[in-house]
Amino acid sequence: MPRVRTIVLAAGVALLARRAMRRRISRSPLWPMPALENPVSGTRASRSPSSLRLLVTGRTTPAEGVVELRLEALDTADLPAWTPGAHVDLVLPSGLIRQYSLCGDPADRSTYILATRLIEDGRGGSREVHEQLHEGAEVEVRGPRNRFPLTEAPSYLFVAGGIGITPVLPMLRAAEAAGADWKLLYGGRSRASMPYVEEIGKLAAPERVTIVAEDEAGRPDVAAALADAAEGTAVYCCGPEPLMAAVTEALPAGRTLHLERFTPGAPSGAAGAFEVELRRTGRTVSVPADGTVLAAVRPEVPGVSYSCEQGFCGTCQQRVLEGEIDHRDELLTDSERADSMLICVSRAYGDRLVLDL
Amino acid sequence: MGRGYGGHPKKTAARPCCQSLTRQYIDAMSNTQQGREPAAITSERTPLKARKVSFEWDGTPLHWVPGDPFTTHTINVLHLLLPAGERWFVHVYKQVLPYIHDDRLREDVIGFIGQEAMHSQAHDDVLPHLKKLGLDPTPYTAQVDWLFEKLLGDRTLPPGRARRWWLMERVAIIAAIEHYTAFLGDWVLNADELDRRGADPTMLDLLRWHGAEEVEHRSVAFELFMHVDGSYRRRVRTWATAFTALVFLWQRGSRFFMENDPTLLEGRATFKDLVRSGRQGVLPATGDIIRSVPRYLSRTYHPSQEASTAQAVAYLANSPAATGRTAATTGGS
Repeated sequence: MPRVRTIVLAAGVALLARRAMRRRISRSPLWPMPALENPVSGTRASRSPSSLRLLVTGRTTPAEGVVELRLEALDTADLPAWTPGAHVDLVLPSGLIRQYSLCGDPADRSTYILATRLIEDGRGGSREVHEQLHEGAEVEVRGPRNRFPLTEAPSYLFVAGGIGITPVLPMLRAAEAAGADWKLLYGGRSRASMPYVEEIGKLAAPERVTIVAEDEAGRPDVAAALADAAEGTAVYCCGPEPLMAAVTEALPAGRTLHLERFTPGAPSGAAGAFEVELRRTGRTVSVPADGTVLAAVRPEVPGVSYSCEQGFCGTCQQRVLEGEIDHRDELLTDSERADSMLICVSRAYGDRLVLDL
Repeated sequence: MGRGYGGHPKKTAARPCCQSLTRQYIDAMSNTQQGREPAAITSERTPLKARKVSFEWDGTPLHWVPGDPFTTHTINVLHLLLPAGERWFVHVYKQVLPYIHDDRLREDVIGFIGQEAMHSQAHDDVLPHLKKLGLDPTPYTAQVDWLFEKLLGDRTLPPGRARRWWLMERVAIIAAIEHYTAFLGDWVLNADELDRRGADPTMLDLLRWHGAEEVEHRSVAFELFMHVDGSYRRRVRTWATAFTALVFLWQRGSRFFMENDPTLLEGRATFKDLVRSGRQGVLPATGDIIRSVPRYLSRTYHPSQEASTAQAVAYLANSPAATGRTAATTGGS
């Protein structure tokens, strides 16, 4: 008899243990392993700018040679939120990808508005927008992302050239709404070719805005406007390369400068060449216009990791300590872009970068 | 180690000749000791390049093998393990690069890293889709993340022997896992039954693109292990660890999916289901899985003896995902 009792007891204990374990596994599938507090897997897609299919629901001509597109979602869901200065990637029917600043109202979550000028001898992106994106067309949009964010400052000076007004326009509205102290210097070839002149006129008191058309009054006096700006002023500039060079040169000490370029691939430095300091190695290498950072770094740091050399695998990501990065990959997220780069494709805007290598 | 890294460009220019000498020496050794050393089939070697792929998941149903949730979910376990696992491979291999003194092998490892990084990204993108279909994988993946990021991650070890030991142990574990990824890759390339059942073409393309690249680079992890360490005891030890872990993770993963599938009332996954699906040809046959075990432990084992590079390369040349966009190449140096 005692043997039967032992068997029954053992079976009972085993059954209970099994049930207890099952309960734990159903709560924690890999019990007894713990979970990572901030899971990594499965969050990549939500971190990186998502791809949306939008419908062109409006097309107007706010100025000569400029087309304004109104994009709306196919369903009723809200579009991703954005802040003044943000841009989206437009995937054109041919597969070309071009960046355009959002110039509508960030509070309007159902619509994106962007404007583009036809560049006759450009790389083909603006021509495609002008010729193919009509009302009713569907277009793929990625983003939005903001590399030109409006930061807190005691006063603002906005300098825009031509179509460079697009990222600035929402900033003006935001600055005006916040009651900030701001001024705008807006230049262009002729009044007829400058978009949103009327809208800006309605937006603010006339003393805040200086509009300079080249055919009437020549080029805007950037140096004078900068000299007038009080210390601590945040200067935001978007426009053609010569305008931004003039602003950079005339910038007095104590004013911070924020630049937004039309083409992310704008040449860096004099002819696209720049220097890279490897802080930990204690060496400085120069990157020629036709060479990559990776190629320049490899002889100094033979163990540096890389693989695809085309900016999609992410193996060569390195931390950047100083310098303005010209990101040319499609992989990194905004927060990663803030302080790191893929050295196989990305470059520098200035003439110097400092890497943590 | 200690071959003048951090050195001068002039020095590196002189290196390739002595590297090829080393290579010849290794090749010669393996010829004289045939029967004891891994025998590589050189015709199976192919230059490795990461391919830029993209998949559109919106059209893929929850049970992408129609009417067979068990098979679907057993294969789906890949999406649970691979994002974290392959990210870990890349993490470990980045650290092992300075230990490689053979230019050809280094080029292979660099290509391998890029391919694994892309595999990890591609499988990671499936997870939000599963969540959208009502099957949230996060409870499981958060634990897999812990396994690879913490348990198998970098540890605070003194530089020198201890740190090297932990690195070599992980390199050996990767070699053992790669034996099974190559096995699965070879299987999926030949799993015609999945096509006959009308499995989702996008998912099949993901699996076959991945499988083909696994077959393509199946020798790299093993050759790297043999190059930097090669101890037979470590090979056996890490194989046992990796195999046990894979069995544990897979059965838990399969059960996790079956129990949480919103369309199944009493979803269960049993060993019997595995045997049945194996017989039908929608999963690897149980016998084949068991037979693959002793092969890795053979002293003459070399991954190039299994599967076919030609078949993998042929698939990759026509894979919709790999050819949809410009196939990218790794030029190496």
